[in-house]
Amino acid sequence: MKRVLVFLLVTLLLVAGSLAQGTLSLPHAPTERVTDTAGFLSEPTRRALSAQLEAHQRASGHQVLVWVGKTTGVTPLEDWTVRAFQAWRVGRKGLDDGLVLFLFAEDRAARIEVGYGLEAQVPDALASRILRDTVIPRLQAGDRDGAVTEGAKQIIVALGGNITPGGNTNAPEAQPLSGVQILLLTLAGIGFIVLAIRNPRLALYLLMIFARGGNGGGSGNSGGGGGKSGGGGASGKW
Amino acid sequence: MPIRKRTNVAGLVALGVLLLIVFSTIGTYNKLIQLDQGVQAQWAQVENAYQRRQDLVPNLVATVKGAAEFEKSTFTAVTEARAKVGQTTANPTGDPAQFAKAQQAQDGLSAALSRLLVVVEKYPDLKAAENFRDLQAQLEGTENRITVERMRFNEAAQAFNSRRDSFPTNLVAGFSGARFQPKSYFKAQAGAEAAPAVKF
Repeated sequence: MKRVLVFLLVTLLLVAGSLAQGTLSLPHAPTERVTDTAGFLSEPTRRALSAQLEAHQRASGHQVLVWVGKTTGVTPLEDWTVRAFQAWRVGRKGLDDGLVLFLFAEDRAARIEVGYGLEAQVPDALASRILRDTVIPRLQAGDRDGAVTEGAKQIIVALGGNITPGGNTNAPEAQPLSGVQILLLTLAGIGFIVLAIRNPRLALYLLMIFARGGNGGGSGNSGGGGGKSGGGGASGKW
Repeated sequence: MPIRKRTNVAGLVALGVLLLIVFSTIGTYNKLIQLDQGVQAQWAQVENAYQRRQDLVPNLVATVKGAAEFEKSTFTAVTEARAKVGQTTANPTGDPAQFAKAQQAQDGLSAALSRLLVVVEKYPDLKAAENFRDLQAQLEGTENRITVERMRFNEAAQAFNSRRDSFPTNLVAGFSGARFQPKSYFKAQAGAEAAPAVKF
């Protein structure tokens, strides 16, 4: 009886796991603020904007991402983006204060997906204006870098932040780890080795938890792990 | 003496089994309550999105009316569909018939609104007006919110239903009478694939 129950439980967990994955296969959570899987942006622009968005997040806490893909396939745009937003856990836990500017090169479609926590700052009408007045005209004119940079800038302005125009003067490129971060990481590493010697089982358990967290834990030091969007935002085509 | 000892053991075992049953029943019941609350909370989210659309309608109709006075029947259809929505039960999650009726009314409003937007195609001036485009963006966003919250409602309802119908939870649910009715799901709108897409 017990064996049967265990078997059932394992099966149930497996089924639940596969259901949670869904039929839609989404890319892994991005590790940088600006991800370009379609060769859409020039590398300097991508890096500069990434640094700016990171600086903005450090200042305001709001996580703004840009994601350029090729296509959403047969999945409707809005369906794809709301699921990706949830799977990537954009924004902070409990606040859901994330926002993603999605672009799909082959679909020629753009969407601003707004987390629950930013709906007041970026209402649908504003998101729509940013797309139709800034992003899409520039894309139609062939200015991809300008479209994305300018669009992201307006989003950040709407969130109450400011970005230095046209440059990355105050945002260092590809920021290396600071001294404090290195020290903390070293301490954590030593602590973990001590733990692994004294209590290997607990260490292994912690490792598994971290490995799992890293899988869906949003981007890097974002403190991600919350983000939900209720489908707010706007879409457009170019 | 030995007999007495044996009854003691048997009594203890019986007591243990009884306690086990009581505790697992309480646990199961509480789990159902928790999942039920999840469904109710998600229903509230769906209603929020509905309310958002309700609030948008008068503004949208007023804006379109100014530019397209001749489309009386379209306005009437929207107003009637909106009124119908107001007549449905506030929280129909436990009643399949009411649930279907409420969904039908909401879908009716969706259809009437998308017809209104199709009519607007005939009026380029209106289509280009900034305040109309903002309203259109808000309506699209709201329709999308409704879709998203309905999807999450279905997920919550599925979690509840599969728990409710699994053994031995179904026994507990059975004893509790009407407290734990299976939840209805949102179904895709009939002809939803054919609904006119609202594009810029």
